[in-house]
Amino acid sequence: MNYYEHTYITAPELNNQDLDNIRKKINEILEKNESKIVREEDWGVRTLAYQIKKSSKGKYNNIYIQGNNKVIKEIENFERYDERVLKFLSIRIKKIPEENSELVKST
Amino acid sequence: MMKRKKDKKKFNKNNSNSLFNKSNQRQNKSCPLSGKNAPEINYKNLKLLKKYVSDTAKILPSRITNVSLGKQKKLSLEIKKARALALMPYVGE
Repeated sequence: MNYYEHTYITAPELNNQDLDNIRKKINEILEKNESKIVREEDWGVRTLAYQIKKSSKGKYNNIYIQGNNKVIKEIENFERYDERVLKFLSIRIKKIPEENSELVKST
Repeated sequence: MMKRKKDKKKFNKNNSNSLFNKSNQRQNKSCPLSGKNAPEINYKNLKLLKKYVSDTAKILPSRITNVSLGKQKKLSLEIKKARALALMPYVGE
């Protein structure tokens, strides 16, 4: 089992329902492969350094996953063909940090 | 071959105090990202990464910033991660 850090950027205009739908799908994929979310971080809506799919703002969602490489592949496959997700990045890490990163919304 | 080696030595000796050599102070400066109290290099630590990027968003060479080789490699990787997530620009203004 590996630890992964997965961040995905969604369009800022999405309502809560859409966000929940995306999260549900990810949870489904995780359950199917016997993986789980260990930690979550909400970075809030940030201005992007460059435009992605013609939007200049994006909502950042950051999750820490315990699982194998198949899960990451499936999640990325789902996000690649979902128009609501602008961009994503997943990184394998050795340890899951205990403190919040500096990007967490302070409010 | 022997002649060349001799020439080189002479050249260095003659120019040890010239303008073209780097001053000793600068060479002795140690890496700001190594050591005990060094900050952790992470793509989420944007304040740190922005120090090592030029105005046009290029990664600064280590000969200017005095970052050690290992840390420079890590630094450039993390900057590229931050760029992929649109936390930092690929191209500056």
